[in-house]
Amino acid sequence: MPYNIAMVSDFFFPQFGGVESHIYQLSTKLIDRGHKVIIITHAYEGRTGVRYLTNGLKVYHVPFLVIYRAATFPSLFSFFPIFRNIVIREQIEIVHGHASLSSLCHEAILHARTMGLRTVFTDHSLFGFADAASILTNKLLKFTLSDVDHVICVSHTCKENTVLRASLDPLMVSVIPNAVVAENFRPRNHPAYHPETFGNEVVPAPQHLGPHDTITIVVISRLFYNKGTDLLVAAIPRILASHPNVRFVIAGSGPKAIDLEQMLERNVLQDRVEMLGPVRHEEVRDVMVRGHIYLHPSLTEAFGTVIVEAASCGLYVVCTQVGGIPEVLPAHMTVFAKPEEDDLVAATGRAIAALRANKVRTEKFHDQVKMMYSWTNVAERTERVYDGISGVLSEADFYGYDAADAASWSATRGRAGVQSFALIDRLKRYYGCGIWAGKLFCLCVVIDYLLFLFLEFWAPRENIDIARNWPKKGQEGRVAREREKRREAG
Amino acid sequence: MTSVDNSASPSRGRRKNREQSGSRTRRRKGAWKKLLWVKQSYPDNYTDQNTFLEHLQRNPRLKPYAFWPLVADSTVIVQHVCSVIIFVVCFVGIFQERVSPVAVVGWGSIATFMGWLLWDWWVGQEEAASLASNNPTSISAASSTSNLGSTNTGTAPNPGLSSRQHSNSASASASSIPSTLPNSALHSQTPTPRSTPNYPPPHSLSKPFSHRTSLRISTAKSALLIYFTLLGLSPILKSLTRSTSSDSIWAMSFLLFTINIFFFDYSSPAPQSITSAGKNIPASLSTNAALMASTVLASRLPSTGQVFSLTLFSIEVFGLFPVFRRYARLRSWRGHVALTTLLVVGAGGGVGLILGHGGDGDGLWDFPWKSGLMGMVIGVLVTGLAMGGCSWWLIGLQKYKNEIHGPWDPARPVIRRWDDY
Repeated sequence: MPYNIAMVSDFFFPQFGGVESHIYQLSTKLIDRGHKVIIITHAYEGRTGVRYLTNGLKVYHVPFLVIYRAATFPSLFSFFPIFRNIVIREQIEIVHGHASLSSLCHEAILHARTMGLRTVFTDHSLFGFADAASILTNKLLKFTLSDVDHVICVSHTCKENTVLRASLDPLMVSVIPNAVVAENFRPRNHPAYHPETFGNEVVPAPQHLGPHDTITIVVISRLFYNKGTDLLVAAIPRILASHPNVRFVIAGSGPKAIDLEQMLERNVLQDRVEMLGPVRHEEVRDVMVRGHIYLHPSLTEAFGTVIVEAASCGLYVVCTQVGGIPEVLPAHMTVFAKPEEDDLVAATGRAIAALRANKVRTEKFHDQVKMMYSWTNVAERTERVYDGISGVLSEADFYGYDAADAASWSATRGRAGVQSFALIDRLKRYYGCGIWAGKLFCLCVVIDYLLFLFLEFWAPRENIDIARNWPKKGQEGRVAREREKRREAG
Repeated sequence: MTSVDNSASPSRGRRKNREQSGSRTRRRKGAWKKLLWVKQSYPDNYTDQNTFLEHLQRNPRLKPYAFWPLVADSTVIVQHVCSVIIFVVCFVGIFQERVSPVAVVGWGSIATFMGWLLWDWWVGQEEAASLASNNPTSISAASSTSNLGSTNTGTAPNPGLSSRQHSNSASASASSIPSTLPNSALHSQTPTPRSTPNYPPPHSLSKPFSHRTSLRISTAKSALLIYFTLLGLSPILKSLTRSTSSDSIWAMSFLLFTINIFFFDYSSPAPQSITSAGKNIPASLSTNAALMASTVLASRLPSTGQVFSLTLFSIEVFGLFPVFRRYARLRSWRGHVALTTLLVVGAGGGVGLILGHGGDGDGLWDFPWKSGLMGMVIGVLVTGLAMGGCSWWLIGLQKYKNEIHGPWDPARPVIRRWDDY
């Protein structure tokens, strides 16, 4: 059955970033699979109201106060009236929130549960447990996720992190990675995609590097502390000193750019290191294909889409072994380093040596990555989550075979493997959040419920018009048939 | 999810017949891998019991506290609280006109001078020791200090110095700066020379005397500067808060002293050289709060002389004394303990004298310092109990510590800084 899904997040176009493109790609692929998807985000400058994107993807830009880096001010209840209106108007069944720093998403999940909708939350980032900001975010996350139906994380490390932060049942958390649009990240000599030859291009001939050919190392990252720019600053002079025919291309901007420039001037490396400054997302591929090695010195990373993009462009990847990065790419595409200056230099040296010896078949990377990560696959797997929380899949199917026995059966989960909507059950879940926080959260939920009753009285459902759906193309039947086949097969 | 797991096929190849019937269960049993790029036959929410959270670490850097070291460390706090109390006692004494302000600031200045002499002697000792020993790090430290000193005199020429010495130090700084530059450039180019000794400048052996003399002269200069500035400012300070009621001043100074105590930098500097300990000025918020508190307190006093004395005394107590205490703690543990005891006794006695009225003839057991003595005894007892009790309490609280670390934490980059930024 096709679902009506609302994606809610503070982060969406016109702003750029990993979360934004994740939401867009996932929504597009879900629409291709016959679902109806709308996106709710806050208003950006010059962009308020309703917009349609390609493929009939409808975006609601709700006017809200933006406080920090495009996150809205947490107002808890003020979002409810307009949210309820949108949800009724669009006949939404599933609310899918993204990004743990987005207060819009947390509020939407709370209101959606009050209105009796299924909710899913996707976590895109890792948080520690030590500093004050993390503690606050974790408490907020615990509040929202006390009563969510399912959580999606982008890597297994991210799942462990989220389970700990929000005290969740691990079976409620699925791991569905990000993906890349392989078409946008072709290697240099790869022919452009044509619809008719899709999937059977000729693999380009392997490129051979002589011992004196120049090897270009590409770095594309925002130049922040947690992206490991300090490591980069320390490692570049040493790499260049020990490898004569090596050049660097660095793209990106940020507060640490000045350190990088100082390093270049101190060591007089301007002719061997090219600083491009900020590049737009669509130019990333053109920068990447100039190089042979992609260096990623990040200190924390939930998934690291950029290294997948680099591998898809046919670059050999040198990256630090942090967060979810070790799960992302197979060993023959990457050289791992510890987040230490010496080890990063050594790993880059190994990568250069391997390329010079022509041991790495980088020309095959593109097709391999294309097989590993695709948004269609992500959409399929997300669809399974929707099936599970709506009760289409049985509990044993969805939560695994060992989950059906009493030992791991969660008391908060309802009978059919779905969370019950009864207010008293929801209050029970919130109450366990902490001595003070639990009572506070319960209070919020009760107020939210009263507000809901008031809104039902004040603006009755019958008076809200139903929006007309975007006319579907002829592919709906095909997808439905495919889904039917898949269900029979397994 | 229905796709066949290709990576597990070699192990499966040997039993082809049974594979057809039991492929589903066998595929379920294929080992789950913590990887995202392989298509696995497990559902997305599968949680592997063996590997889930295996990298979780709880309290990895937990050092269980021992009782006596904890008590010893708490002396730093006791010292600071006691010096604040002593300052307040002095203020009350001056305010109630029981103590002459000149006596307070006189004794304070004498103590400061003695402390400075001791400090100077220690510095001399340390420099001699670092020059005598031949290990590279201390030479580099000494040479850097000599560079520092020489550039100081080079940029701000002092009339007290003889012209010969001045030109010598200027030439030393001029020659040492270019000699630093190519060296650092060389260092950053070549990856190995970390263990090589650091370029001692040829002048460094003749430097210490002139360097220390110039240091002394600059200290005396800044002392004089502060003295005369305060003298000039005192009349202004006296009328600063005339329109404010005393109650507000007491509340405000209490708040400021609380800030001072809570934000004071109690950490002990690494036992390196005097220069690093000297550079480590205790947290500026704390010092500023204390100086502001003493300024508003001083503005309550009626005469210019009293204002001047109290402000000067506050600079001695809150500006110079902490630096001396930090260094004294590094140099001699016995001296540190003796100083702590002295401060505790002094603070207790002072509070006793302020609160009690000894020597006014009532009671059987009367002598002038009775309340002071009582205060000392009570102060020592209370301090001892507080130090012991708080240490014991902190040790007891350790069992609630639950610090979680794992692969999701931002990694700490290990960078060797071998050229100075």
